[in-house]
Amino acid sequence: MLSQIFTTGFFVSLLASTIRLATPILLPALGQLYTQRAGILNLGVEGTMTIGAVSGFAAAYMSGNLWLGVLGGMLAGVLWSLIMAWLSVNMRANQVIAGVALNILGGGAAVYAYRVIFGIQSLPPQVEPFAALHIPLLADIPVVGPIFFQHNILVYLSFILVAVTWFVLEKTTFGLKVKAVGENPRAADSKGIRVGRVRYAAILIGGMYAGAAGAFMTTAYMNLFTESIISGRGFIAVAVVVFARFLPVRAMWGALLFGFASALQMRLQAMGINVANQLMLMLPYGLTILALITASKKADFPGAYAQPYSRMER
Amino acid sequence: MKPNKLKEGLRQVLTAALTIVIALAIGAILVQISGNDPLEAYQALFQGAFGSKQRISEVFVKMIPLTIMALGTSIAFRAQLWNIGGDGQFIMGAIAGIIPGLYFNLPSILLFPVSILFAMAGGALWSGLAAWLKVRFNANEVITTLMLNYIATFFLAFLVYGPMIDPLGGDFPQTPNIAEGYRLFLFSDKLRIHAGLFVGIAVVAVMLFFWRTSLGFQIGLVGQGKKVATYSGVSVKKTILITMLLSGALTGLAGWNEVYGVQYRLLEGVASGYGNIAVVIALLGSLNPVGIVISAFFFSALLVGGATMQRMTDVPYAIVDIVQGLVIVFIIARTAFHWGGLKRILKRRGQNA
Amino acid sequence: MSRNKAVFRRGPLAPVGQVTLAAASGEGENAAMENIVVHMQGITKIFNGIRANDRVDFYLQAGSIHGLLGENGAGKTTLMNVLYGLYQQEEGTVSIRGTEEKISSPIKAISLGIGMVHQHFMLARPLSVVENVMLGRKSRRGILLDTKETAAELSALSDKYKMNIDPYAKIWQLSVGEQQRVEILTAIYQGAEILILDEPTAVLTPQEAEVLFGMLREMKQDGKSIILITHKLEEIISIVDEVTILRDGRLIGSQAVGPEMTKEELTRMMVGRDVLFDFPGPQQEAGEVKVRADMLCAVNDKGLPALTDLSFTIRENEILGLAGVDGNGQRELCEVMTGLRPLCGGRYEIGGEDLTNQTPAVYIRKGIAHIPEDRHTTGLALGWSLKKNLVLKNFKKPPFSKHGLLNRKALDEYWEKARSEYQIKAGSGDDQARALSGGNQQKVILARELDQKPTVVIANQPTRGLDIGASEYVRGRLLEARNQGAAVLLVSADLEEIRQLSDRIAVLYDGRLMGILPRGADPHEIGMLMMGKEKEELPNEAE
Repeated sequence: MLSQIFTTGFFVSLLASTIRLATPILLPALGQLYTQRAGILNLGVEGTMTIGAVSGFAAAYMSGNLWLGVLGGMLAGVLWSLIMAWLSVNMRANQVIAGVALNILGGGAAVYAYRVIFGIQSLPPQVEPFAALHIPLLADIPVVGPIFFQHNILVYLSFILVAVTWFVLEKTTFGLKVKAVGENPRAADSKGIRVGRVRYAAILIGGMYAGAAGAFMTTAYMNLFTESIISGRGFIAVAVVVFARFLPVRAMWGALLFGFASALQMRLQAMGINVANQLMLMLPYGLTILALITASKKADFPGAYAQPYSRMER
Repeated sequence: MKPNKLKEGLRQVLTAALTIVIALAIGAILVQISGNDPLEAYQALFQGAFGSKQRISEVFVKMIPLTIMALGTSIAFRAQLWNIGGDGQFIMGAIAGIIPGLYFNLPSILLFPVSILFAMAGGALWSGLAAWLKVRFNANEVITTLMLNYIATFFLAFLVYGPMIDPLGGDFPQTPNIAEGYRLFLFSDKLRIHAGLFVGIAVVAVMLFFWRTSLGFQIGLVGQGKKVATYSGVSVKKTILITMLLSGALTGLAGWNEVYGVQYRLLEGVASGYGNIAVVIALLGSLNPVGIVISAFFFSALLVGGATMQRMTDVPYAIVDIVQGLVIVFIIARTAFHWGGLKRILKRRGQNA
Repeated sequence: MSRNKAVFRRGPLAPVGQVTLAAASGEGENAAMENIVVHMQGITKIFNGIRANDRVDFYLQAGSIHGLLGENGAGKTTLMNVLYGLYQQEEGTVSIRGTEEKISSPIKAISLGIGMVHQHFMLARPLSVVENVMLGRKSRRGILLDTKETAAELSALSDKYKMNIDPYAKIWQLSVGEQQRVEILTAIYQGAEILILDEPTAVLTPQEAEVLFGMLREMKQDGKSIILITHKLEEIISIVDEVTILRDGRLIGSQAVGPEMTKEELTRMMVGRDVLFDFPGPQQEAGEVKVRADMLCAVNDKGLPALTDLSFTIRENEILGLAGVDGNGQRELCEVMTGLRPLCGGRYEIGGEDLTNQTPAVYIRKGIAHIPEDRHTTGLALGWSLKKNLVLKNFKKPPFSKHGLLNRKALDEYWEKARSEYQIKAGSGDDQARALSGGNQQKVILARELDQKPTVVIANQPTRGLDIGASEYVRGRLLEARNQGAAVLLVSADLEEIRQLSDRIAVLYDGRLMGILPRGADPHEIGMLMMGKEKEELPNEAE
């Protein structure tokens, strides 16, 4: 059995899986980079992803077009996170509780929507998921090819978004505003920046990414919708952002780490190594805690993290 | 002055009631959209909760663990510790609690206190872990308790598929039943309501006094602010640990209740999402014992009735989740409203000074 | 538009209290109108019923450095915040370069060429200098940041004024002095011709202050007009051309600062002579030494030294007043004496017992009362009832706690007693602390701290933000505590209060003890120590 593990084939499929399994964590994490950098702790990502999952699935199923599904997921994510934005910015509510509430609400709303749209069927509806896209030439390179260049297009896009996110945050005026608002909202306010508006935008962007990630789960990762399709990935994404110290590239490594843990668990299970399969399943979640421990020094958080802002005289 | 407290309490009840009414109204709309008749749905809901003696007993059966859990959650929340790990602590409590029942050979008299202690220790350890991580590493307790939920769930699966599986159970992922003599006695042959009710009542009674103890005062003080707590001579770190241990212990006790009063064994899904509901109940009840009991009653009715409603009509059970989520959203939005109003009043006062 | 001319007489000192600026009616022909870049007339600003600025006039001549002098609470920052558009005045007008303007926001002020560097920097720490400067400005490259261009321009400006700022450095990497220069650089970059600096040397070492002044002189040569808010006399004398003095929100006078100007003169104008002395009751004989502090050293939140080699004693039946401008270590001293901050050196004894570096609970047990500077986040649990707030420190002890349970009746009785004794105006003991006025909140704190007959009382700015009636009450209570045997440390930025209440007056400057003066010491003597003048340098009486 051990000899089975240490073959190239095993490693190749392991690493390929790592990349694929990292995607549903990387995508929402990238979106949350905007949100958390702006000083908002949005724990409702899980619920947003679920909403995105059902919306994306429904859109794809009914239109027959997977891309419409992705778009549907994104749109749903944006609309759903409007609630979080309203609660955090306008109502200045406790962001932790708001996030928990939106998870419960999102889970329920998603299942409800699924029932209303699809009704109860003996065979759950499915879609034809995104096919693997072999990049010509590169996909044929031994070892490297199967690992990196034989994924579906959404996976490629997600990793490209790492660079895009970095660019927006570092090189655009909007990115600068996001960082200022999270760090020192009073200073940003004094320079004429509309703190509320920037935070709204950051939350909605986060929602868009989360919605897209949800759609990814139902149209690419799997090809149907279930109530527990997200199973904690939203929370892991939040933790990855903290662990990544709010930097896109580090978030990518964090997501890959979790992808690896999940991939390892699946590979070993598939090989019949059932020894404590459940214990392996714990891996990503335990890893999250470890990551949180290493990353939670107070100095690393934006100055105004999770604190509602109000302009008050004196 | 008594009248003030009464007024305040009344106001809390009214706003809570209003919140529920609005949430249910929205639920009704959703029922309509799903192609069902809201009146029929809510009727089924009501019947499902109160329609017969058996139904009412079901409500109380659910109410016991929910109340205990919500009370535990409220302890943490009052210290501004956002312990969302109810499910995980419940599971660990159930696991720890069933061990004496399955593996020790104790007379019933001894078994109950021992298993209760084990269960409370199990839950306390699980939440204490998150507390230690917070105190030592400043790790956000929301994420740690949530992660621990998943870990506990998988641990339970591991146990019931593996080492603790019932050898005579035909490969079902569950432990053997605990002995008949260990089970909490039932009040009647046909109803499921059991002696755990006494435990629940006892917990409520204790909690009614808890906030009047000096420990309760200390915990609340930390919730008021770390600065003023430190200034007053309170050790914030120690208080965080104690608070979480207590919170987890109570939740673990709820787990014990489920094992010894309802299921008589361990199986997957033993916590069945109680953790989230406990959070909602705690918040709706304004974190005080009386409010929690009332909210727990309402939500237990909602859950039990909802299950019936799903069986009898075509209405999806998810509506129950939606109502829950809406309730919290309204609560936190309303709290912000209150503070906004209060601030305005204070500003006016200040200008007249 | 009336021709308001400013008259600045360069020469011998003008008498105290006389406004030396002639307003309206066109008197004086020395200065032409074009020379006045800023003209504020009759500015009144009211906060919560308190007049922070009361009909204040202010002139700024082009190409000059104008000092705005006064004690804490005199209204200097408020006046400048009006000029910068952060506050809107209730009465009065502001004219810039001869034209009356309504400065509704900082953006407007910046467009008028006014820049302000606050005491608390408006900088985002993890971002770089150039990023901070680009915040809120339109980029030349649309949605992309024009980092390179901006950085180049900043470098040029920095070189011009010898500021030595690397535009790509992150703010957290810079020293406080450098951060301040970033703020100044930003203001100039945004086109400020009128620069307001609020207590700039409060956070600088003497060497950094020298560098700053060199820069300011350069800018003055360049035609910029600078307003320097300060309480430090050396600065007025060394760098300022004209000085305006405020006290209690009112204008005392404006004066040219010539070579004959002395610190004594300034102090007299600042502190005033018409202070009524009310030596309350017969003087008590101070008792045994109760508190002994020996070479205390402590560090503030930023890691800089806050207290250095601080040694003093406080006796029973004595009030030791600690005078000093806010920010010279008072907060840190109160914190180390109550266990809220660690000492990094020195020894701290109470009643002969070594109590260096203990937890707050220990000090509370030893009977030390602490009236904290920050009523709201430290002294009170705002969301809790008054009854509960009264027992924050002793809720575990009888009679409030019996067998671990709080004794409601004892709490009720305690509240009634406190309410009547301290005349606390509140609806009921169950009201939230949040709902009370500042004065009544302070009374609750007093009731809690003083009722247990403490042996040591540490009162930090006890009358800050309170109206006259409440202030008098608080002072009376502190005297009573002293008469009953307590050793009291009174920290206050209000010099009159210090002089009224203290048996001895210690002066803190830059974390060091400048000297200890007896009761009845001359205010301007105290004032000079507060400004950093060493005690030995005081001129003797016969001058």
